[in-house]
Amino acid sequence: MRWLWYLVREAYANLRTNRMTTIVAIVTTAFMLACVGIFLLSYVNLRNAANWLQEDIKIIVYLDDAVSQEEVQRLRERLRADRLVAALRYISKEEALGEFRAQFPTDFHLLEGLGENPLPASFVVTPAPDFRSPEAVARWAERVGGMAGVAKIDYNQEWIDALAEVIRYLEVTAIAVGAILSAAAVTVIGNTIRLALFARREEVEILRLVGATGAFIRIPYLLEGAVLGGAGSALALGMLKAGFEVFRHHIGSVGRFHGFEELVSFFPLSVSSAFVAVGMGLGVVGSMISLLRVGERRR
Amino acid sequence: MFLPEAIIQLIHVSKSYDRRAALSDVTLDIAKGEFVLLMGASGAGKSTLLRLLIGEERPDQGQIFVQGKNVGRLKQAEVPYLRRKIGTVFQDFRLLPNKTVFENVSLPLIVQRASMADIRRKVIEALRAVGVEQKKDQLPNSLSAGERQRVCIARAIVNGPVVLLADEPTGNLDPERTAEIIELFKLINARGTTVVVATHDPHVMTLANRRALTLAQGTVVQGPG
Repeated sequence: MRWLWYLVREAYANLRTNRMTTIVAIVTTAFMLACVGIFLLSYVNLRNAANWLQEDIKIIVYLDDAVSQEEVQRLRERLRADRLVAALRYISKEEALGEFRAQFPTDFHLLEGLGENPLPASFVVTPAPDFRSPEAVARWAERVGGMAGVAKIDYNQEWIDALAEVIRYLEVTAIAVGAILSAAAVTVIGNTIRLALFARREEVEILRLVGATGAFIRIPYLLEGAVLGGAGSALALGMLKAGFEVFRHHIGSVGRFHGFEELVSFFPLSVSSAFVAVGMGLGVVGSMISLLRVGERRR
Repeated sequence: MFLPEAIIQLIHVSKSYDRRAALSDVTLDIAKGEFVLLMGASGAGKSTLLRLLIGEERPDQGQIFVQGKNVGRLKQAEVPYLRRKIGTVFQDFRLLPNKTVFENVSLPLIVQRASMADIRRKVIEALRAVGVEQKKDQLPNSLSAGERQRVCIARAIVNGPVVLLADEPTGNLDPERTAEIIELFKLINARGTTVVVATHDPHVMTLANRRALTLAQGTVVQGPG
């Protein structure tokens, strides 16, 4: 087991030999990965929000003013039998007026001037969980919209579609920014490893002469890359968490966003672990590139 | 043709650097257990020959056999295993300054993943054989040139190599230390290891009093095997 101890000790010695470079590499990597993390965090939270909205979707089937009670009953039965419909509530013209009065007490006088109740009767439909996709809701709305007695169908899909569009943009941006900054992190770590290789070139040479295999020579540098990437991503995660808590605390104290702080969330443990693992992977890639460029060419 | 009794054999070997011939059509063989001096002035091709033997360079032409293996045809991944059979001693010692004598000598065993007990036993044996056992915990820079060369020899023999190659091993030593190192090589050779010492110093030839191959401008001019 002495060889294993030797490899770990060499990796540690590499980190210590170039202490300042190591620190700079970790901090630079941390800032770059933190930028990627900001996009990722926004993306995760907006996706959660889109899912909540999709879960909470309500379809309002407005009825013609002239619709008879028999037609209302027929429609109610057809909708109840529909497998898309999980729950159904009928709101008569009078109930609609009552709800409007309850929700907008100061603006109610606007309706009084019209004389007759202008609000239509409606069915509020909660779609079944399997039919909450934008496509399924749109297809259903088109079908039901053609039924006798139905005046208009309304649902908050536009809102959800707009949010989905934002998420798509954010996704593309996160991938682009992630790729660019990851490449930069690989370069920074790769250069640090190259400096370590240069500082220890004599030792590498001696190891080769005494019969060390390529793998034996490479392992300490790959470990060093993994440590640099892992430490950088862990620091980035710490910075993100601190920033996130400050943001959440601040947003909670602003009156109009009160309650919003409960809706946003940080990365779950699995994503945090994957974030650090990706950082380690980037470090290993940086090391491999440097070893291929410097070390292996001279073998 | 490969001779089974030869542990080292070069057959019409040539090697050039930037069109300048370092070795030209060299043919020689060294028998198992032999002590051979490779004589010649600087630039005669001695170091090139040693580098070819450990697979650090490949010949442009010809074939090189070490213990029956065609070195020129070895895959890159096989070269480390060849080097484990060959101990190498350098004029400039090539010891790691931040590692103790013990750690320096244990390197060839560590790369072979030897056990802790084996490392301890073999390193102490090697240090005792070259007479620097009591210096095992010191750093190389605290040793004299002669002692450093002994440590370098201990590192070269710690594996029990079949061949020991030494490139100008006495170049940095005074005549007294030179004589001691040559005696050490003789002792190692007496235990069965084939020893090849490259040197430009005629004094070493006198001290060793063994077969000498003289190289000049990349060719063997005297005493081919």
